[in-house]
Amino acid sequence: MAAHNSKYPGLDPIPPPFGKEFPPVALIVEEKCIACDRCPPVCFFDALVMEDRPDHKYHRTAVVIRENCTGCGLCFEACPVEAIIWVPDTEDTKPKTRPGDSTVKDADV
Amino acid sequence: MALTTTFLGLKLQSPLLVASGPASHDVNQVRLAEEQHMGAIVLKTVCSDKYDHMRYWPRPRYKLLDWDKQIGGRSKYFTLYSYEQGYSGTLKDYWEFIKACKDHATVPIVGSVFADVAEDWKELALKCQENGADAVELDISSPHRPGSLDFETTFIAAINTVVKALRVPVLVKLAAGPDVLQQCKAAEKCGASAVTLCNRIRGFDVDIETQQPILHGYYAGVGGPWAKYYTFRHVAEAAQSIRIPISATGGATTAEDVIKYILLGASTVQILSVIMVNGWESVSQIHHDLKGYMQQKGIHSLEEIRGKALQVMTSPEDIIRWSGEPKTGARNLWKPVEGHGRS
Repeated sequence: MAAHNSKYPGLDPIPPPFGKEFPPVALIVEEKCIACDRCPPVCFFDALVMEDRPDHKYHRTAVVIRENCTGCGLCFEACPVEAIIWVPDTEDTKPKTRPGDSTVKDADV
Repeated sequence: MALTTTFLGLKLQSPLLVASGPASHDVNQVRLAEEQHMGAIVLKTVCSDKYDHMRYWPRPRYKLLDWDKQIGGRSKYFTLYSYEQGYSGTLKDYWEFIKACKDHATVPIVGSVFADVAEDWKELALKCQENGADAVELDISSPHRPGSLDFETTFIAAINTVVKALRVPVLVKLAAGPDVLQQCKAAEKCGASAVTLCNRIRGFDVDIETQQPILHGYYAGVGGPWAKYYTFRHVAEAAQSIRIPISATGGATTAEDVIKYILLGASTVQILSVIMVNGWESVSQIHHDLKGYMQQKGIHSLEEIRGKALQVMTSPEDIIRWSGEPKTGARNLWKPVEGHGRS
């Protein structure tokens, strides 16, 4: 995949190869993070916060709160140094849903 | 000098509304919107059970195109490419969401629904009203709607049925296109209280490197600051032909855009992309700039300038034109230049 040379860097490839098995979630590569504060405001699911890291080059780094991450991909776009990567959420064992699968049987509406 | 605006009988503290989308998807965002003094919040659209699959989101579902990462969101003409679809919960979750919003927020809450047959539309809209929504927006132009649903057959019936059944105001959200004006008139005739112009439209993009469609290989909703120019026109056209108020949306990222929409006759302006990419603080910037403009121009209420630009709009017949160059004689004779072209 030469996606890095293409017009849309950041998500390489789109979606990630494990995407059919596990839900992708974001992860910050802390060594790459430049503590620019750009990713927390774009996250609408409160999944990104800045944390203090005294031993970090910039003394701070962004951190993903995995339970909140919906894998929307917007923080990848906000990161100027590509410090955010996709990782499989192996703890998520919920079944995948395809169009047509109805999961509302138990909803009393 | 105040930003207060009256819209659908509701007194709003600002003409800015949060448009339906990820920035109005849970209760905490409603709190953030309230902190930013937004006028009202249009909640994320909920789909009827028939479109249950639209409640499950693929990952990733957003892509920013033409976005310069290095300048951190100052890119002026980006595109937000989104395959997000509907509210990611059951109908029951949505009713509780509306209730929670109403319990904790003082800002007006607008429910947003999507269905296909008129009965489902009515049921969803009634439930929104029952749970306390101050108005209901019918998202008939969702970029993710099935193509088999068309305005004339499906949506007119839906608007009619919902308007008859509801006590709260009904907004109809339309997408840009050649039929917008007709659809505005039809919505007004059906008794809608306002129209929202314009929804994002269905778009598509391909990565030439992998030679594949980007994201998940299907059409997605596209929108961004470039979308404002045709929406300006649709708002101007609609403002001159319908009497119901217009809630403008599409590409508004700065106070200038908001002012332009108001000058063209919009009552309120819904914003979303700018909140998504630049954070909630962009709202206070817009409010600040809006107040600055009003101060500079000596405006006390936005009502004074609403539709002002339309009053001096001209018509094609009245545009002063000059005849062009004479087309007979030398300028109409083909003279090959030596050394160039065919001999």
